[in-house]
Formats: sequence, C-alpha cells, structure tokens
Amino acid sequence: MNAGGISRRRVLSTTLGALALGPLAACGANTGASSSENRLRVAFSTSGDRESLDPHTSTLFVDQARSKALFDTLLGYDQDMSLIPRLAESWEPDDTGKRWRIRLREARFHDNKPVTAEDVLYSYRRIADPATGSPAQPQLSGVDFEASKASSDRELVLVLSEPDFTFPAAMGAPATEIVPAGTTDFGKPVGSGPFRFVSFETGGSAVFEKFADHWNGAPKPAELEFVSVNEEDARVSALLSGQVHYSHDIGANSVSTVDNDSGARILAAPYSTMQAVAFKVDRPPFDDNRVLRAVLSGVDREALVKVVLNERGKLGNDLFGRGLKYYPEEIPQRERDVDHARGLLREAGAEGLDFELHTSSADPYFEPAANLIAEQLGEIGLKVTPRVGPSETYYSDIKKKGVAGHTRTATLPITSYLSKRLREASVSANYTGYDSSEFDNRYDQAVATPDERKRDELLTEAQRHARDHGGMMVWGFSDWNVGVSKRVSGLRAATPNSTRWARFDEAELG
Amino acid sequence: MTLAYVPRRVAVAVLQILGVAVAVFALSALLPGDTAVVILGKHGTPEQIEALRQRLGLDEPFVRRLLTWFGGLAHGDLGTSLLTGAPVTAELADGLATTAVLTGVALAVIVPLALLIGVTTGLRQGSRLDRAVNSVIVVLDSIPEFALGLLLVALFSLRLGWLPATAAGLSGTSLATHPAVLVLPVVVLVCKQLCALARQIRIGVAEANTAEYTRHVRTHGLRESTVLFKHVLPNAAGPSVQQLARTVDGLLGGVVVVEALFALPGLGSGFVDAVMARDLPTVQGYALVFAGTTVTVNLLADIAAYRLVPRHRSAS
Repeated sequence: MNAGGISRRRVLSTTLGALALGPLAACGANTGASSSENRLRVAFSTSGDRESLDPHTSTLFVDQARSKALFDTLLGYDQDMSLIPRLAESWEPDDTGKRWRIRLREARFHDNKPVTAEDVLYSYRRIADPATGSPAQPQLSGVDFEASKASSDRELVLVLSEPDFTFPAAMGAPATEIVPAGTTDFGKPVGSGPFRFVSFETGGSAVFEKFADHWNGAPKPAELEFVSVNEEDARVSALLSGQVHYSHDIGANSVSTVDNDSGARILAAPYSTMQAVAFKVDRPPFDDNRVLRAVLSGVDREALVKVVLNERGKLGNDLFGRGLKYYPEEIPQRERDVDHARGLLREAGAEGLDFELHTSSADPYFEPAANLIAEQLGEIGLKVTPRVGPSETYYSDIKKKGVAGHTRTATLPITSYLSKRLREASVSANYTGYDSSEFDNRYDQAVATPDERKRDELLTEAQRHARDHGGMMVWGFSDWNVGVSKRVSGLRAATPNSTRWARFDEAELG
Repeated sequence: MTLAYVPRRVAVAVLQILGVAVAVFALSALLPGDTAVVILGKHGTPEQIEALRQRLGLDEPFVRRLLTWFGGLAHGDLGTSLLTGAPVTAELADGLATTAVLTGVALAVIVPLALLIGVTTGLRQGSRLDRAVNSVIVVLDSIPEFALGLLLVALFSLRLGWLPATAAGLSGTSLATHPAVLVLPVVVLVCKQLCALARQIRIGVAEANTAEYTRHVRTHGLRESTVLFKHVLPNAAGPSVQQLARTVDGLLGGVVVVEALFALPGLGSGFVDAVMARDLPTVQGYALVFAGTTVTVNLLADIAAYRLVPRHRSAS
C-alpha cells in the first residue's frame, strides 16, 4: 500500500480540491460515534497493536500523545527545546554538576494521591532498567539510584555518576512520565495528566475524560477521543468531513487540500524534522575522509529542499537542530562544489566508485531525495544506486547494513542529540559509526562546565568536528504538519517532542 | 460419477490448504526483520533485540516452530500474538464481523445485479442496451479501488455531505448501529467486482440462447420463459458459479484496500497491521483464513458447477 501512497495523495489532492469547494463546514455526515458535544476527536496513525498505555515504552506518536494526556513529565521543552517546568517547580545542581536537587509542585494523581518524590524515583528507576525497553533509558542510565533519594515528599536529590550540567534535558524527554510508585500494569492507567482514563482498545479508540483537579487547571474539552486512522488519505477525509477535529501527520502533498478547505487548516511547525543521509565512516569507502568530503561537496542541498520538500522546509548545513539552543549559526553554509568534489575523489583514487544508498517509505521524502542525490552524485563521477528497504524495520536494518542510508530525527535538545547519536557510548542510535575521542572529550567537557558561554563554545567545537568527520549529511529540515478543524481554537503549530505539541487540554471546541 | 468427483475434489482442497499453510509459514518467516526489531524500533540495542527475540521464541529453529504451529492447528489453536499476548483466534474474531458484513452485503448486491445485467444483455447481445451497459461496467472495473473510493468520498461525503467519509472511531460491533459508513465501501467493492461476473453470465446466456439445443426446444413451441429457466440459465450457470468463486476471491483482496481507505476495523486492515508489525503467528492466522476461504469457496463452486452440468446431473 505504501507504493501507491504518493499517487493516492495526488488523486486525493486533485479530486478533493476539485469537488470539495462547496460548503464543507456543513458536512454533517458524521458517523455519530461521538457521544458528547464537547468531545475532542483526534486521529492518529496507530499501526495496529504495537501501541500501549505504558508511557515509558512509548515510541509511536500516538503513544506519546496519549501519554501527554494521561501523565506529566517533570519538565517540558519549548519550541527551541529550552526547558519549561511541568511537575518540577525547580531544579538545581550542586557545584560539581553531579547532584541535582529537584522540588516538585503540588500535584495529584487521578486517584487523588499526591505526586511524590518516591513516585519520581520509582519512575526513573523503571525507565533506566534495560528490561523495561524504554527509549529514554540512555538518558537516565547515568543516574546512580543507590545514592539518589527523596529528602521529603516534594523534594528529591538525583545523583549522577558523571558531572552533567545539561542533565535536566533528560527530565523533559518523551517516555519519562511520572507514574505512581509500584505501577506495573497499565491496563487502566492512573496518571497526573490533564485527562483521566475511560477506555482503550489497541488498534481502536481511546477515550479519556477531563481531570478537573489538574495542577494546570481543568482541560477545556470534557472528553478526548483518540481514533485510529492509519491511511493518511483517510485522516484527511475524516478531517474535511468533520468526523475528527484533528488529524496528525499530514504529508506535503495533502497540505494544500486541507488549507484550501473552508472548514480546516494546517498547523505547520518549521524545522521539525532533520532530513539527512548517514554515511558510515567506520568502513570503506567513507572511512577515507576525502571520499566523505567529496559527497558532502557533491550534494546540492538547495535543490533537494526545493524539489523534495516542495519548498516547505529549510536548508540543512550538515548540523542537527537549526534554530535550537547551542546550534552553531556561525559555521558557514556548505555549498555545492562539483570541481572540488571531483578533485577529492581523484586524490582518493575513488573515481567511478559505486555504492548503494538505502532508502525507504518510512518517510515520504526519503525515496525522492535518494533519486535526486544519486543523480547529483552521478555528476561528480559516483555511481549511486538507491535501494528501497521495508519501512517497518528500516532503521534497524541501516544500522547493520550498507554504507549509506537516509535517516531523520525529530527535534530534541541538541545535547540530547549529540549524546544519543554521536558519542561512542551511545552506539545504539549512532547510524554512522562515528567514534571520535576528540568529539567525546569536547562534549564531556561541555556538559561538565557550569559556565554557559564556555559550554556553548565547546559544543560548537564538538559539532564542527562531527560535521566534518561524523558522516551525517543534513540536507534539510521538513515542516511537521497537522490538520485542525476551524471549529477548534487554542491549538498552535508545534514540533513533536515539545510541550506544545498535542496539547489537547488547551483545545477549545467552538 | 459425482460421488467419485466430490471426495477427490475435497481431498485436493485439503491438500491445497495444507500446502498454503506450509507456504504461509515459510514465506512469513522469510519477511525481512522480525517482531523484536519492530517492537523495539530504532531505539533497540542489539542486546535488547536478542533478549526479546529469545523471550518471544523467535530464536528457535524453523522446523521446530513449524511443527509446534501445526500441532496447535490440529487442535484449532492458531497460536498467540507476539505483540498483545492474546490468542490469534481472538484477534481474527475482532475483524471478522466487519469483513463478513462488508463482503456479505457486497455479494448480496453483486449477485442479483450481475444476474439482471448478464441475462438482460445476454438475451439482447449486440443491442444498444448491451453495448451501453457493458461500457459502463468495464469503465467501473478499470478504476482502481482506492481512486474510486476517493472520488466517491469527495463527492458524497465532502461535496454533498450525504454519507460519512470514514468509519473513524467505530469498532466492529458499533458498525451495526452506523450502517451508513458501509455504503461507500460496499459501492466500491460492487463496482470493482460486478463486471467480471455480469460479463460471464452474459456470455453464458448468449451462448446457451443461440445453441442448437435451445433452437431445438424452441421449435417444440415452448414458452420463452420456460426456455430461459429450463434450458438457457442451467447451461449458463456452471461457468458463472465458478466466476462467482473468483468474485469472492476478488472481494477478499478488495477489502484490504477498502478497509484501509475507509478506516474500517476488519480482517484486511488487521492483516496489514500484523504484517507491518511482523507478528508472525497473527500473519499466519490471517493468511490461513483468507486462503482457507478461497479454497473452500472454490471447492463449493467446483462441486456446484459439476452438479449444474445437465449430463452430470442425469448421470448421478
């Protein structure tokens, strides 16, 4: 079905655009499944039965959105990934950066029990346990739980095994939600989020009701219903016909269809997803830095943004996190230089080199980008063959196989990205095999320094090294689009992983 | 003669189902990646993947897994979903109602409509009506399901607001209280599957209507209705019944697309989800149900067609 995805969206764009010009707001052919006037209905792809209400193992967007409704994290991320308080009222390190004193605000779980420091310690210990299988495990693996303790009901001290003045970023990461101490069964979860559990069916609907005693005030909708719609075309149809109020993840091809509709609009968050190709620098041919630099010089990033992202995106400079805190704006944009690239290949004796570029439908931009990159690198004398792999296992496959593959990363704090993707110690998310003591030393020094300016300089140096030797060719940043009914106010464009994303408690039905 | 044919045909069907079961098991084992990789996603370390693989029994040899699966099948046990831990039969039961209703209603529309079209045009072969009706059903047949579905949604849901665009938020059981959501999916299935059956009936009727034996009975002064019901239709029925079996096969293929397009929680969308998640026992369960249905329907069609041939009927 994926193979037909693009043509389907084109058909939809054309037909809906041509036919749906009438008074769509009045389309009352609802299924009538919604029982309440004030029930916000949101459509997500659920991809079947992998979903769970255990917030610590959540990997799908729908899991994260439901976790956000039912639970809270200690901190949250603003749009630039700076930290904002949620359950934590304050967080302060000692002089060494190894002991963090965290004070909790007064908040209650849905069963009326208070959120305590013991709940935080239990949740973090559970996340850090590899047996749980949490995607946030690497971020909390540096916590020494033997030494960490609750000093009162609302205060705790987390002790780290190494100094880290950027540690609070971990407390805002997805999958670090606080659950009541002792919770192992998430069949009917109890959290401290703005909505409380009513019902849930894997692959089907989840219904939550408002938790009036939420610390941030009662949510605006009386009820929230997550509905499962895996096909993007169906999510668009459901939104335009008024069956749902919010459709998550709308591809660039359907954006104009939704935007041209009188009853819906697109919320587009810029810089939301890094689009890149990972070249493996731990094996031939890219272990030769001249070959790596040749491909970095041979790619026309502007053309990729224009053609593949349909100009709905921003240019990349082989660096993660454009627009975020610690992004090194002073590093000049890498431009295409065909002659320089050819010279480097000649010098390396790699003229006419051929390799496969792994790609997949895991992201709608991967395959068109692969074709264009193959064409561009052909112009510097390389023979690049795009190889399409299955989307379901794509990211695991490219970790093990091949020498080059497309990848993407949603917005994270830059320090989290650098520690998860580039440091040798975190090889699980390292797609290029980059292993540099130079980078590691600078990164470790940066996070261990309390001086913000010094940290910024060190992180810039670390990123400069990774940019030239790390093997990640970042060609652009795509927008993140969601479709919203014009009946709904209060929702704003937001990048996934940020606090503002999927903030359904702030949505008001008109 | 018939008695000899039926057991032979049933034996072939049983062998076909066994062959399909082995093929399904082997092919699903050949799918790249496995459940452990999909469950852990891009965050899984090789150690975590290996540990989960062991826990799910994916590290066991192929032959042992095959024998265990067949052992379960013999007792009607299709195994347990690797993702949910629920019995595969329960997963299948969840989607069965939706798909059964969808294909059942589609079939209930297709059969009388195809008969009406096939007989009417078959008796008037070459007429203006014959050409016009054939053109329409051929055009409908040539439009892919997803494109037809999108067109119908754009017109009847978005433009006119008469019918719901999707079944978003409805479970299999709640569909009964919202029958309107089935209208567009059924129309898509009918448009796609009507053509072949109607044309087969038309050909059968036209041939039988101009055959020598029909001309012969007409010379005896029989009424046209008697000629039609006693001589033309029985002779046209055999190939048409076999085409009907292929129509059921086509419907089972069509529901995979239609259920995705209209967000219907049926066997087709469940099958796709199971493949995407590499939930092998569930994939095998779905494939077996689809294959078993196809083999059974074709078996019944073959037996019915055999019985409908007048010389076999008289021989028995």
